[in-house]
Amino acid sequence: MQGNQQQQAYDRGITIFSPDGRLYQVEYAREAVKRGSASVGVRTEEGVVLAADRQTRSPLIERDSIEKTHKIDDHIAIASAGHVADARKLIDFARRRAQVERLRYDQPMGVEPLTKAITDTIQDFTQTGGARPFGVALIVGGMEDGEPRLFETDPSGTPYEWQALAVGGGREEIQTYFEDNYEDGLTLEQGVGLALEGLAEPDDGGLNPDGVDLQTVDEEGVLGVSQDVIEDHLEERDLLGGDDE
Amino acid sequence: MNPDLNMNPHDDGRTDPYSPELGEITTEESDSENVTKTGTTTVGLATDEGVVIATDRRASLGGRFVSNKNVVKVEEIHPTAAMTLVGSVGGAQSFIRTLRSEASLYETRRDEPMSINALATLAGNFARGGPFFAIHPVLGGVDDEGTHVYTIDPAGGVMEDDYAVTGSGMQVAYGTIEGEYDPDMSVEDARELATKAVQAASERDTGSGNGLVIAEITDEGIEIEEFDALEDAL
Repeated sequence: MQGNQQQQAYDRGITIFSPDGRLYQVEYAREAVKRGSASVGVRTEEGVVLAADRQTRSPLIERDSIEKTHKIDDHIAIASAGHVADARKLIDFARRRAQVERLRYDQPMGVEPLTKAITDTIQDFTQTGGARPFGVALIVGGMEDGEPRLFETDPSGTPYEWQALAVGGGREEIQTYFEDNYEDGLTLEQGVGLALEGLAEPDDGGLNPDGVDLQTVDEEGVLGVSQDVIEDHLEERDLLGGDDE
Repeated sequence: MNPDLNMNPHDDGRTDPYSPELGEITTEESDSENVTKTGTTTVGLATDEGVVIATDRRASLGGRFVSNKNVVKVEEIHPTAAMTLVGSVGGAQSFIRTLRSEASLYETRRDEPMSINALATLAGNFARGGPFFAIHPVLGGVDDEGTHVYTIDPAGGVMEDDYAVTGSGMQVAYGTIEGEYDPDMSVEDARELATKAVQAASERDTGSGNGLVIAEITDEGIEIEEFDALEDAL
């Protein structure tokens, strides 16, 4: 009984550690990410692929109003999983920060410094009184000095660099799929295929092309991949699902 | 103030991308006669192998009194970039200190040095931010792209060129360089031409004189040498 009361106290303020060194609010924020639909990122030789599941809960929702991949600058994009509203704040921060780099240094923002600027901000929200952590994980992908880079941010504000990763619901299954199937030297085209296979992994019913938001970033810039191309990829892999119920 | 725009939970997250991360640029500096000025001739020449910067060593008050005869008017601000002090000595010194710490912070955070163009842009932003910052330096450096010479004017104008001269002796020095500079010249030849330019200005400009300082910048780093007599540098 007493232990239970103590835990309640520790999980109310985010600035408070529990006696065993845990930050409950940060852990709860990670749970919020798991409740979101999945987003994936794949790094290839030529560029990065970001894809997200945006299955809708009603056929009456306009698909395009569900934004899960976001262009940040000409050479960087971000995919999110978790609270959309929280993600939007960080997306706007990232867009402004990318422009500051151009104003300040007359150069495009690097993917790694941008990721670290975002995670430093996320961290502020785990240590400041009156704030709540961001219930969102981001996949930051882009080109830096001609090299594709791919990073993850989590609700604690820790940055990680990946070759391929998933965040959000079904993360473990998709991650295992990537671990078994990722290879060095992929073309961007093959990366798109791998991203879609990963996204389709948790659901036996396949994917509806309208329910996938996919962007690639390479030397040419950020490119939204059309539903037709996604459909071709899914058909080729026998992953094409029916309409939403 | 933090240009990294950290979106603090308790402020509106709006910051000034033109200000330094540490400290701030004063805007109250007046341009009075009592302020020590460098007068100065500072020359920067870019060659394929490196950049040569040459300056005189005189500081003066009101252009009529030599207040110092041993000023080193070129300083390292980055592992492969140097900047000259031109204009008010106090303004130029704090400008150089600020740029040096910004370049160091950038490199430590990102594990790669700032490009010379980024450094010049940052310098222009700071000069622009302080309207009475009476300085007019030459910036020379080497990066992945090659060798660069820039001038930063007091209003924040940033211009790249193969060679540049600033300071009160600039017209005399430019006359020496004009027609003699060749982009394919060796670092040795560039040293000689820069020395001759400062020598000519020292003869005819009252704000310039008292010897010579030469900085040689290559992708290996910076070497700064002082000479009491201009002939010694040749």
